[in-house]
Amino acid sequence: MKSISLAALALTLGYSQVAAAKDVAFISCPIVRDTSSVPCWLSEYEGQLYYMGIQTDVSADFNPPSLGHKVLVEGTVSPDQEVCGGKVLNPVKVSVMPELSPECNTMLTAEARYELPFEAPRPPGPSMGQLAFTPPPPPSLPEAPFPEKTFTIEYDFDGKVNFQSPRALQPILQYANHVAASRIEITGYRAAVRLSNGEVVQERADIAQVRADQIAELLQGAGLDQPEYVVQASAEPQVGGPEQRKVTVRILPG
Amino acid sequence: MSGRVALHSRTPRPSTVALVVSLLLAGSAIAANGQVGEQQAPGAVGDVAGHVPDQAEQVAHVPVSPSSSPAARDWWSPGEGRIFPEWVEYPNESGRLGVLNAEGAFETKGHAFFEPVGENGRACVSCHQPADGMSLSLQSIRERWEATQGKDPIFAPIDGMNCPNLPAGDPASHSILLKRGLFRIFLPWPPKAADGSPIDPEFTIEVVRDPGGCNTDPEYGLNSPNPMISIYRRPRVAANLEYVVQQRFGVSPFVGKTGEPAARDPETGRPLNQNMMADARQATLRTQAVEAGVTHLQMLEKLTDAQLQQIEAFERQIYAAQVERTGAGSLVEEGGAKAFGPRNLLAGDKGVLGNNITRWVFPMGDVWKAPAQGSTPEQIAMRESIRRGQEIFHFRTFWIKDSMHLNTVGLGNPTKRTCATCHGMHMTGLDSANGWMDIGTTNLPWALETPRNPWTEEQELMPLFKVTCKANVPPHPYLGRVIYTQDPGRALISGKCNDVGTIVMQQFRGLAARAPYFSNGSAESIPELINFYDRRYNIQLRDSERRDLANFLSSL
Repeated sequence: MKSISLAALALTLGYSQVAAAKDVAFISCPIVRDTSSVPCWLSEYEGQLYYMGIQTDVSADFNPPSLGHKVLVEGTVSPDQEVCGGKVLNPVKVSVMPELSPECNTMLTAEARYELPFEAPRPPGPSMGQLAFTPPPPPSLPEAPFPEKTFTIEYDFDGKVNFQSPRALQPILQYANHVAASRIEITGYRAAVRLSNGEVVQERADIAQVRADQIAELLQGAGLDQPEYVVQASAEPQVGGPEQRKVTVRILPG
Repeated sequence: MSGRVALHSRTPRPSTVALVVSLLLAGSAIAANGQVGEQQAPGAVGDVAGHVPDQAEQVAHVPVSPSSSPAARDWWSPGEGRIFPEWVEYPNESGRLGVLNAEGAFETKGHAFFEPVGENGRACVSCHQPADGMSLSLQSIRERWEATQGKDPIFAPIDGMNCPNLPAGDPASHSILLKRGLFRIFLPWPPKAADGSPIDPEFTIEVVRDPGGCNTDPEYGLNSPNPMISIYRRPRVAANLEYVVQQRFGVSPFVGKTGEPAARDPETGRPLNQNMMADARQATLRTQAVEAGVTHLQMLEKLTDAQLQQIEAFERQIYAAQVERTGAGSLVEEGGAKAFGPRNLLAGDKGVLGNNITRWVFPMGDVWKAPAQGSTPEQIAMRESIRRGQEIFHFRTFWIKDSMHLNTVGLGNPTKRTCATCHGMHMTGLDSANGWMDIGTTNLPWALETPRNPWTEEQELMPLFKVTCKANVPPHPYLGRVIYTQDPGRALISGKCNDVGTIVMQQFRGLAARAPYFSNGSAESIPELINFYDRRYNIQLRDSERRDLANFLSSL
C-alpha cells in the first residue's frame, strides 16, 4: 500500500474542497475502527459513514471523541476522499455531548481494506521523541506603551474548560501579567447550530454565564487577582459554527 | 467508649486545642495575605492549607495511647539515634533493595525526620521505613504488631485505628491497618479552599457502608460538630522525590488535563505538579510535612522552619530502588542498564517524559540483550524475562477505556496505547503532570469488593460512599450521576464530580519492598496488581507475559 504523510493528505483534501465542498452538521454516535497502527474515528449520518480523524496525541487539532456519548459533528465533506471506509470530513469539529448514551458502543475490528493510507504521526506506543504536531511559537510580547488586547477561547458544544484550554489561557495570563492589567473584561457567549436536517440545537441556557464565570475564576486562581474584573454573558444563542461558542477576554493594560 | 478514657495517656486540654487551631488558622491567614493568598483553589496552597485547621481540631480531641518502639533489625524506631549510612541494603522476597543517602552518613539523633516530634511517639520514619523503600509494607506492620503487642506508635488511635473511638490493643480496632496496611485520612466535608472557606461541592455524599465506624461516629464522622470523611490509604514512598516534585515537564499555571489552576508554591508563587499525595492536597514537601505533623504525628504546634528545612533536605536526596533480583543477580553491575538502582536514579534526568524511543521510561539499552559474563542458565533466563517485561511495559498495546483524566485528555475513549502512556515519566513511571486519574481502584464497579453471598462471613473492610452529582453539572462522563466509591480521592479536595475516585498515581520504585499496592492496598502482590489491569482493560495477557511483567516490576 502506498503511504503518504498526514500533512500531504490534508493538503490534497484541502485542494479538493474547492471543487466540491459540502458542509454537514449532525448528531450521532461515534464509531472507532482499529487498524494495524492507531485507531480511526468515524460517524454515520443518513447511511453515510464519515471519517473524522485518527488517534494521535494532545498536540493534534483533532482529538478523538468518546464512546458512550453522542457527538455533534460539524465538518466539510471531501467527496472524493475516503479513509477507514468513511468519507473524509476536513476540516471537522467534534463535540462530545455531555449526557451518557450507552448505545454508542461500536468498535470495529481492523480490516486490511481499511488500513490508513498514510503513516500515523504518532504510533500507539512510545513517540519518536516529540509531539505529533509542533505547536506554533508563543507570540512575542509587545513593548510599552501596551495596547489593549482581546483573546478568544473556543469551546465544544455545551462545553466548559477542558484539556485544550491551557493553550488558550496561557497567553492571556502571560499578556495580562506582562502589561500589569488593570481591568479584565470577560464575555461569555452561547451558540446554536443548524443541523443538516434543519433542526436547530441550542446550548444550555446558562452556558454563557457559566463559561464567563469559570474563566474569571481560573485567571484569579492562577494568580491574576489584582485587576478589576467585569464578567458578563450574552445568553441569546447565536446560530452558527464552532466560532460562536466562545468567551472573549479583553485585557486593559495598567 | 468507656475503655477509651482508661487508655488515654494524655488528652490535650481545651486551651491547648484552641492554641493549635488558632496557630494553624494564623498560618492560613499569613498565606492569605501573601503573594498567593487570594487563591480559592482547593486546599493545596498556602503555608497551611485550608483544610488543616479542621483536621487539627479533630487531632486535638483524639487520645494518644502509651507506646513503645523497641529497636529491631531493619526497623527504624523514632528517636533511637543511630547513624544513617550513605548506602544500605535490605533483603526482600524478590532480592535486595538499595537505599542511597546521597549527601552522606549522618547521625539521626535530633533530626526532625527521625525524632518523635508529636504527641503520639511517631516520627516520619515510622511510616517511611528504609527497608520498605521508604514506605511501609504490610509485612512490617504485622511484624511490628507482633513484636510490640500493638504498642508501636504506628498503631496510634489517630489514624492507626479504624477510628479513634475504638479500644486500643484490640486487633479488631486496627483491622484496616493490619489487613490492608491502610492509615486513616480524615478530611473536612465540605472541602475547604486554600483560605479555609468552604467549597460548594458539585455532588452530595452519603455513607452506605462504614465498617471502620468513623464516618458515622457522632464525634469523628460526617455528622459530627467538625464534619469529617474518613478514608483509608497507604503511606507513599518518601524517596526519589526529586522526580515527584519536579518543576519541568508538564508544569504550568493551568493543569494540562483539566484547565484548572495548578497549585502554587506558597514561598515562590511558582506552579507545582501535584504528583505527591493520593489526592494532591499538598504539593510541596514542606506543606505535606506540616500536615503530616498534625494529622499523623499529632503535633500540637507546627514544625519549625528549621525542622521543615531538615526534612525537605533529607527527602530530596534519598533514593531507593531494587539492586538485586532473585534469580538474575545484581541489577546494578558496572555499565549495566540505566533503569535500575538508586545511583542511576540520582544521576537520571528529573522531570522529563520517557514515553519515547529517545529516552524510555525505564531505559535498558542493549546491554541486557546479551547474557552477562559468567551467568548461569537460570540467571540468563531471568534476565531475559525482565527484559521482555520492560518491552511489554513500553510496547504491548491495549484499549484503555472509561478512565477519567486519561480518556478525556485528547486521546479518545477508548484509546489504544501501552502502560507507558500513563506511566510516562522517565525513571519512575509517574504521570507526566498532575497525575490524578480514575482507573477504578476505588470506584465501583472495578474496585475490589468482598463477594456477598450466603456462604461467606467475610466482611468488606473499606467504607462505601454514594456520590450523587448535582443537576446543575454534567454527569460524570463514564459513571453517570450516581457513583459508588470506597474513596472519592481528589473529589474530597476539589468537590468536583469528575474527580470522584481519581487518585494520583505512584512511582514504580521499590515495589518489591512495599506490598500491598494501590492507594487502598487492594492488590496484595505484584501479580495481583497486574491482574487488576488485565481485568480492568481486558488486556488478555498470557501467563508468560504476566510473569515477565512481574519480574520486571519487581526489579525496579
